[in-house]
Amino acid sequence: MTPPTMTARPWLLALVLLLAPGLAEAHIIAARLGDFYTGALHPLTDPQDIVLWLALALFAGSLGPGRARWLVLLMPLGLLAGFLLQVTLGIGQIGALGAAGLMVGLGLLLASGLATGLAAGNRLFGGAVLLVTATSGASNAAGMAPEANATLFAAGLASAGYVVITLLLAAIVALRWPSTDTSGTAGWRAIVLRVCGSWIAAIGLMIGGFALKSLAGV
Amino acid sequence: MTRALMSSALMTSAPVTSAPVIKGTRRAWRWLALALALTLLALPGLLPMPASAHETSLGVLELREVRQGAYMGRWTMEPAFGTARIDLRLPRQCFVQLPQVLCGKQGLVGPITVGNLGANMSAVMIRILPMTGEPHSYTLTSANPVATVMAAGAPTLGTWLDLAPTYINYGIDHILLGADHLLFVLGLIWIVRGGWRLAKTITAFTIGHSLALAAAAFGLIGVAERPLNACIALSIVFVAVEMVKDLRGQPGLTARYPWAVAGAFGLVHGIGFASALANLGLERNLLPPALLFFNIGVEIGQLGFVLLVLALIAAHRRLGAVLPAWGAVLPAYAIGTVSSFWFLGRLLRMLAAT
Repeated sequence: MTPPTMTARPWLLALVLLLAPGLAEAHIIAARLGDFYTGALHPLTDPQDIVLWLALALFAGSLGPGRARWLVLLMPLGLLAGFLLQVTLGIGQIGALGAAGLMVGLGLLLASGLATGLAAGNRLFGGAVLLVTATSGASNAAGMAPEANATLFAAGLASAGYVVITLLLAAIVALRWPSTDTSGTAGWRAIVLRVCGSWIAAIGLMIGGFALKSLAGV
Repeated sequence: MTRALMSSALMTSAPVTSAPVIKGTRRAWRWLALALALTLLALPGLLPMPASAHETSLGVLELREVRQGAYMGRWTMEPAFGTARIDLRLPRQCFVQLPQVLCGKQGLVGPITVGNLGANMSAVMIRILPMTGEPHSYTLTSANPVATVMAAGAPTLGTWLDLAPTYINYGIDHILLGADHLLFVLGLIWIVRGGWRLAKTITAFTIGHSLALAAAAFGLIGVAERPLNACIALSIVFVAVEMVKDLRGQPGLTARYPWAVAGAFGLVHGIGFASALANLGLERNLLPPALLFFNIGVEIGQLGFVLLVLALIAAHRRLGAVLPAWGAVLPAYAIGTVSSFWFLGRLLRMLAAT
């Protein structure tokens, strides 16, 4: 039987590859590969999007595969909804302070390990998904070049959302819920998730601090 | 084993009917036709239409070598909107600050292009007048946006290696932008469902398109571009129908002989790749290395796509994210609808041109 650590290893590798900084070259890609790939790579150029997507994936993954799998569908739909809101009505962006608040909230939920035990888990999950995906879609729409083809850009954005979140979720679920955990390693896995949560909350606090500083004009 | 895993990952149990094969196929075609009609009705509202007016403009740039590797550029015919907005891109060893172009010891050798062709400018002709040897002219249009400048004399190993990044990247770009090729590969993955059979199938497709690419690039075979593009779209329609048949428990030709189908259609797709290479205006003595590097680029892009799809299949399996029974045929119909739309559009363009 394959030990659980062995099954988690490919997913961790996928996670590392996904977060590789070499991907963050959307504007070079724009000139080379057109608006679909620009839309697909645009969120990966913004640390706020990367951290929020990771936080959402960790949060959903910590709730188990039953809830996590809904994110595969909801992520691209939420991104498209946020994109449409921004393009048609000019609303949906929450700014750096709002994004920082979301990071802190999700990070604390993960770090405290409260998410899985809450009675209102479903509503909390739904709210987090709606907020993160819609605001991320809106902020990416706002960053779209005026001459870009909105349809292709949105298709690229939704595709990237689907691909990134599906691979991340699978990696997290493999880490959190190994199909055959007989080695008693579940403890350190929970600690990894909590540590990730605390880092996300810390990053959120840092971004929030910078946002407040710039608001105050210091 | 793999087949079962794929099946459980991407769809719930496919509805297996006892109806005859022909009846099932007819029903599949009917659904494809309906989906196609709906798409055609919806598309005008969904897709942004291209601007109706298109300003035509032509520019002629002369680059005269004044000392080794240093050129003086002069627009002998200025485009209508001026020269300041022209996005001229010369080989990476060249420093461009018109009228001066400095290319060092390597000289002006490698790909040249204008990045904003087609927006307000139809064509640019670049005339290169070396200190020794014959002058050469290269016409860049939005259909042929890149030309490769050769050094005087026979190409050296260094020249070939300089070409590698350009043509590997061009091959990757071509496959990543070629949604039709990717959709065909996706259809193959869907039907063959991983494992050694998939490896053999993708290898057969690779061999097929590599042979055709080489044969077409060296002028051994030649097919007009418009009918060829229609055939490529039709090959994807074929795969979509095969997917529907497979879901109904009636394994088609692709399910039974995937390598044969992949190899045969690989030949068609390979000629399509060659037309992209032909658009670069390569000189004949540069063709072998360019062909090799372009093909390597295509393979890298294709392998990346296959690995991504396989990773997504494994992720779906891990998450238990499966399509409901009623939605199992949706991917096949989606692929069939898009490819039918391409086929009809390309067919109409072909008929309009005759």
